Amino acid sequence: MLSFLTSFTLPLASLEVGHHFYWQIGNLKVHGQVFIVSWIVIGLLVFASIAATRNIQRVPNGIQNLMEYALEFVREIAKNQLGEKEYRPWLPFIGTLFLFIFVSNWSGALVPWKLIKLPEGELAAPTNDINTTVALALLVSLAYFYAGFRKRGLGYFGKYIQPTPILLPIAVLEDFTKPLSLSFRLFGNILADELVVAVLVLLVPLFVPLPVMLLGLFTSAIQALVFSTLAGAYIHEALEGHGGEEHGEH
Amino acid sequence: MSMTGNFLWLLAEAGTEASESGGFGINFDILETNLINLSIVIGILVYFGRGFLGKVLGDRRSTIATAIREAEERRKQAAAALADEQQKLAQAQQEATRIRAAAQERATATRAAILAQAERDIERLRETASQDVNTERDRAIAELRQRIATLALQRAEAELPSRLNDEVQNSIINRSIAMFGGA
Repeated sequence: MLSFLTSFTLPLASLEVGHHFYWQIGNLKVHGQVFIVSWIVIGLLVFASIAATRNIQRVPNGIQNLMEYALEFVREIAKNQLGEKEYRPWLPFIGTLFLFIFVSNWSGALVPWKLIKLPEGELAAPTNDINTTVALALLVSLAYFYAGFRKRGLGYFGKYIQPTPILLPIAVLEDFTKPLSLSFRLFGNILADELVVAVLVLLVPLFVPLPVMLLGLFTSAIQALVFSTLAGAYIHEALEGHGGEEHGEH
Repeated sequence: MSMTGNFLWLLAEAGTEASESGGFGINFDILETNLINLSIVIGILVYFGRGFLGKVLGDRRSTIATAIREAEERRKQAAAALADEQQKLAQAQQEATRIRAAAQERATATRAAILAQAERDIERLRETASQDVNTERDRAIAELRQRIATLALQRAEAELPSRLNDEVQNSIINRSIAMFGGA
């Protein structure tokens, strides 16, 4: 019994988060495992896109049908958030976010990456690294600032004091909390999911992790949806200004 | 129980070894790589996902196919209607040409008829006019003659008393008797 307990602590210890497969690029140390899986995910998406568009039929078939369905899905996301009039220019951005995060998440949940041994760290979904999610969230920040400035010029700053200047600190704070919450939500969900699965696998290798893994698939998909939906909502907010007052002025 | 513990211990050993040994490689440990669970999950996903996705995609495909077919049907109908209408247009144009030609023809005929009638009328009028002139002249001449005769008679009656005496009267009567006698 004692030996069981002692032996039990060790596998848990080997689950330590923070082992990374470092690459040195100039002065930067980058997480190689994230890059590798990201490239695989990107390659998969590019390959699927090329395969879907290489031989376009009038009545879509096979992969073309699938990818058109995916396109319709992301278009619905963008349209629901941005509205019929504005959604089109932002569709590529929001669609790419959704597809990349979705495929990343599911690759982490479905592909047996542990078959491949790295010198250090292990291959997993790119989105379980905070760097990836922060990068994506900052892109969203840039996107909505760009959207706001493009649409309304310097008048975009008006939204900070729009209802009342008293809320200015909160409005400024929002610009920091948005990327923060976006990145941490995604990162936390995916990492937590993978950790729970890993811990359960170490405790009971067979069958018991299955419900959690299936739940993980569900959460992963939801997270991708949430991230892209929120990105669309933020861009919409920047385009429209606070509340409905802008509508009255126009 | 202890066996399980040893087993996990071994697993952990293998894991640390792998992470310490460095370099790339392939981990063949089926339990540690979670291969069985993953294949079950993938199996479940494929089993249920295929049905769902297949249905969704099939529906989508058939919807699109129906839409395209209907659109083509409509296009065909529209083309047929267009051809029909064009044919009708051509017919109408032909009809219009025909009517215009007929009208032209009738106009020419009517013109000729009216011209001929006018010619005839003019002729008739001229005739009537000349006839009128003739009768008028005859009438004028007759009137003049009568008037001259009347005037001459009046003059003669006026002059008669001054010029008439017995001698003359006798000679006239004699001459007249002589004329009767001669007859």
